[in-house]
Amino acid sequence: MPSRKSKQWSSRSIGSNWQHNVFYTLIRCGGKPAAYCLLLFVVLYYTLLRPEVRNRSSHYLKRRFPGRTPLRMLWDSYLLSLGIGRTLVDRAILGILGPENMYVSPEGTSELAELLAEGHGLILITAHVGCWQLAMSNLAALNTPVSLLIHRDEEDRDRHFFEHNSKKPPYRIIDPAGYLGGTLEMLQVLKNGELLCIMGDRNMGGEGGSVSVDFLGGPVKFPFSPYKLSSATGAPVAVIFPYRSKSGAYELHVAKTFQIPENLGRSAHAYLPFAREFVAALETFVTENPYQFYNFYNMWSPEE
Amino acid sequence: MDTKEKLKKILIDDLNLEELTPEDIDDNAPLFGEGLGLDSLDAVELVVIIQKHFGIEIKNMEEGRVAFQSIEALAAYIDTRMESA
Repeated sequence: MPSRKSKQWSSRSIGSNWQHNVFYTLIRCGGKPAAYCLLLFVVLYYTLLRPEVRNRSSHYLKRRFPGRTPLRMLWDSYLLSLGIGRTLVDRAILGILGPENMYVSPEGTSELAELLAEGHGLILITAHVGCWQLAMSNLAALNTPVSLLIHRDEEDRDRHFFEHNSKKPPYRIIDPAGYLGGTLEMLQVLKNGELLCIMGDRNMGGEGGSVSVDFLGGPVKFPFSPYKLSSATGAPVAVIFPYRSKSGAYELHVAKTFQIPENLGRSAHAYLPFAREFVAALETFVTENPYQFYNFYNMWSPEE
Repeated sequence: MDTKEKLKKILIDDLNLEELTPEDIDDNAPLFGEGLGLDSLDAVELVVIIQKHFGIEIKNMEEGRVAFQSIEALAAYIDTRMESA
């Protein structure tokens, strides 16, 4: 079981509490335009004056855009930070102003409904791209409980959208730091024929092993637990990327669906082809949406 | 062969614990972590193995949590389920 202490990533926001609260107040008083406007300047400040922010985004950007000049890299860093900033503002808008203020295309949900109808549950594998919380709100149309494997750092400051209005969470959170990495809870979800959503691009720390797959020209360790769960339960897998389209709306892109053969066993190697399929879909996604990939740490480090 | 011995043999064969013999496995040692050394994803495998060899489907994972403590606990769980079947 990997040690949590060694992980390089953190789910903690770089903003302080008061900075988050300024945005929340602005959304309440000035609506979306005011928050987006402030965001432009906040991102500019962080990009120009906080080198650690540029450093965090450089691992991905250097691989996505090799050979960029330093000035162009600075612009890329600005656009990437603006991308995640918009995502955070949008999810606050969803929580504060309500879902009617954020359009999420229903496209993709019918395909997921068909897979769910097979009766073995459904594993949604996504990544730290776009705004998964908006996608989750869209899954309500499937009328099936949704569970999400997600770790939150104790000092997380930014809120999930439902926390803005003290509503009941629309999904159940399974903590990978829990008993056996939440594996038994995940199995239960699938045995109940429900939806399980797992981030396929990052090992959360307790839920099992990983396999090495080349991503943007270098090996990265990706978890194989989603594929093993599928093999054990017969649940189909859908690779989904919820992202912000050019019009500012959100879309749930179902990139790939597949069925994993039953009982592939214990060896990580057996799940490598499926991790490769996920990574191929992720590479296509970041090619088309370069500023919506939010892993701000060195995924390619051998220590990861 | 009692359930505990059968279970040990199955775990060694199905989980490829080739370096172990049934005698090496302590009945009360934890299955996960420092005991038998299984990792969290092996719990998935364990659920499949129990169903395959004993015909018992662990539907309630709270029961699984109790049963997966040790060989002793898992054998007791299997025996109880088989008696009530």
